[in-house]
Amino acid sequence: MKLKRFITSMLAITELELRKIRHDQSQIWMRLIQPILWLTVFGVTFSAIRVIPTGDYTYLQFLTPGILAQSVIFVAIFYGINVVWERDLGLLNKLMSTPAPRSSIVLGKSLAGGLRGILQALGILLIALVIGIDLILTPLSILGMLVIIILCGICFSSMSMALASIFRTRERMMGVGQAITMPLFFASSAIYPVSIMPDWLQVIAVANPLSYVVDALRSLLVTGDLSGLGLDVLILVASAAVLLFLASLGFKRMLV
Amino acid sequence: MTEMIDNAVKVENLEKSYRKIKAVDGISFDVPEGEVFGLLGPNGAGKTTTIRILLTLIKPTSGSARIFGMDTLQQSDKIRQISGYVPQGISVDGEITAYENMLIYSKLYGLPPANRKKRINEILEYIGLADRAKDMVKTYSGGMMRRLELAQSLINRPKILFLDEPSIGLDPNARNAMWEMVRKLRRELGSTIFLTTHDMVEADTLCDRIGIMDRGKLVVIGTPNDLKATVGGDVVTVSAKNASLSEVIEQLGYQTIGEPSNGTADLLVKNGEKAIPRIVEAFKGKGVELDSVFLKKPTLDDVFLKYTGSRIDDGAGWAQAKKTRMTYRRMAK
Ligand SMILES: Nc1ncnc2c1ncn2[C@@H]1O[C@H](COP(=O)(O)OP(=O)(O)OP(=O)(O)O)[C@@H](O)[C@H]1O
Ligand SMILES: [Mg+2]
Repeated sequence: MKLKRFITSMLAITELELRKIRHDQSQIWMRLIQPILWLTVFGVTFSAIRVIPTGDYTYLQFLTPGILAQSVIFVAIFYGINVVWERDLGLLNKLMSTPAPRSSIVLGKSLAGGLRGILQALGILLIALVIGIDLILTPLSILGMLVIIILCGICFSSMSMALASIFRTRERMMGVGQAITMPLFFASSAIYPVSIMPDWLQVIAVANPLSYVVDALRSLLVTGDLSGLGLDVLILVASAAVLLFLASLGFKRMLV
Repeated sequence: MTEMIDNAVKVENLEKSYRKIKAVDGISFDVPEGEVFGLLGPNGAGKTTTIRILLTLIKPTSGSARIFGMDTLQQSDKIRQISGYVPQGISVDGEITAYENMLIYSKLYGLPPANRKKRINEILEYIGLADRAKDMVKTYSGGMMRRLELAQSLINRPKILFLDEPSIGLDPNARNAMWEMVRKLRRELGSTIFLTTHDMVEADTLCDRIGIMDRGKLVVIGTPNDLKATVGGDVVTVSAKNASLSEVIEQLGYQTIGEPSNGTADLLVKNGEKAIPRIVEAFKGKGVELDSVFLKKPTLDDVFLKYTGSRIDDGAGWAQAKKTRMTYRRMAK
């Protein structure tokens, strides 16, 4: 009974976020511009000059999973700013006055972050196809991709919400969002292999959940070698759990 | 008998301290079921803090609060399930429709799917927003938004309704509509209503009983009429420039509420109409020519003045709230 209530409220929060997107679809299209540029300008240029060793695969093949992951974190990271905004308006205060468990609110929001990532990912996939990037697209690989994207969205939107409870103002959160998205992206295997990074950066890359997202997406969509997938998923689930826990703790602090 | 029935609200020695300030400073009071009870006080009195403790949103530093016998610390889930809340801030999302706002909250309160649609439509009808249900909330006027917030707080058929400054930021028409709505709710649903306000007219017209709150303390509690009677007579406001009013008043032995300031003083007299000529004469006798004399029956503002030594400072919070709402609508667009 309790679990049922938990799930109902979680889904209600997710639904709320998705309905907002449905009413304003332009934000989805806007958010596709940057990944398109990354693929068509950055990707195409770096393929041409061949400075990054990517083994048997073209640089564009290598890059696509990285851009998929990037687009998801860029969206997810804004959930923290959004939460601060809602707190300032009073929406959070009202939400917390309902019987919905606080953790269900956090989970619902990050799930929405994940689902939104999916919309994003499908758009990018379509563009990749149009550009003619060779990807493994079977029902299974696509399904796998969706699961990874959702996990990625959950991880980074809860990370962002946890940070929101520490930094507490919109201005600071904007700064934090900008300060961490790029380093997260560059300190991962998104645009170059971990092996060519300096040692200190490799250490960061290994601790960066984004590396596992990219790794998993790459094995699903590019190499087809699924031997490391289990570990990637395990690490992502564990990170998601920890970050969700931190975000739920933080949520209580938001209202004191 | 009375011991068997739990009060809707029972607060004992409630205290909430923040680092620098005691927002609520040891208050105790009861609200019987079915009553419209109002906390009246200026900005920063601790009204919102009290409501948020009652709604289990924050924990008191010490003391206890019970809602229908349920402890706010131990039975928060049950309290939330039977409470409705219209916060001082904004509680509806501008980026979805009114119906959608209601729908999401019906789910958060665990309404069975079969009832949702009907209940939502009933409430929107009741509150007079049925024809705008499919519009985005950001296109609503401030008054409509506040009404929708009221509608949203009714979704779980609350046994007790908390209204934090229900008409804040509304223009006089919208404010009257809001008051009418609250009266109707009270008449037809019979729920207990706990409201806060810094508007004495609002407190006077809506509440069965009022608690006056100032700087965290509950200074006095009673029905509006009883409170006004405690002022002890009519209020005659006299003003005179260039005269030391305090001295003259002291010599004449008049009682005042508050201290004279800016050359005006509020004299407390029995039977004001008859007292005026005598007052004018008496001042003249002391060589003070009064510029104006003004008689009024005591208001809650005088009650406030009597118990706290200052008048409720109106305006700032009101304008701020209105501005917030407008900014919100603009930004949501
Ligand atoms: N989270 C908080 N941290 C620190 N101080 C707080 C906090 N919440 C409230 N206060 C302080 O407690 C006091 C009471 O605030 P509260 O919001 O309860 O007043 P209020 O009577 O509702 O006033 P208003 O009419 O402005 O809404 C204020 O001085 C306020 O600054
Ligand atoms: Mg308040």
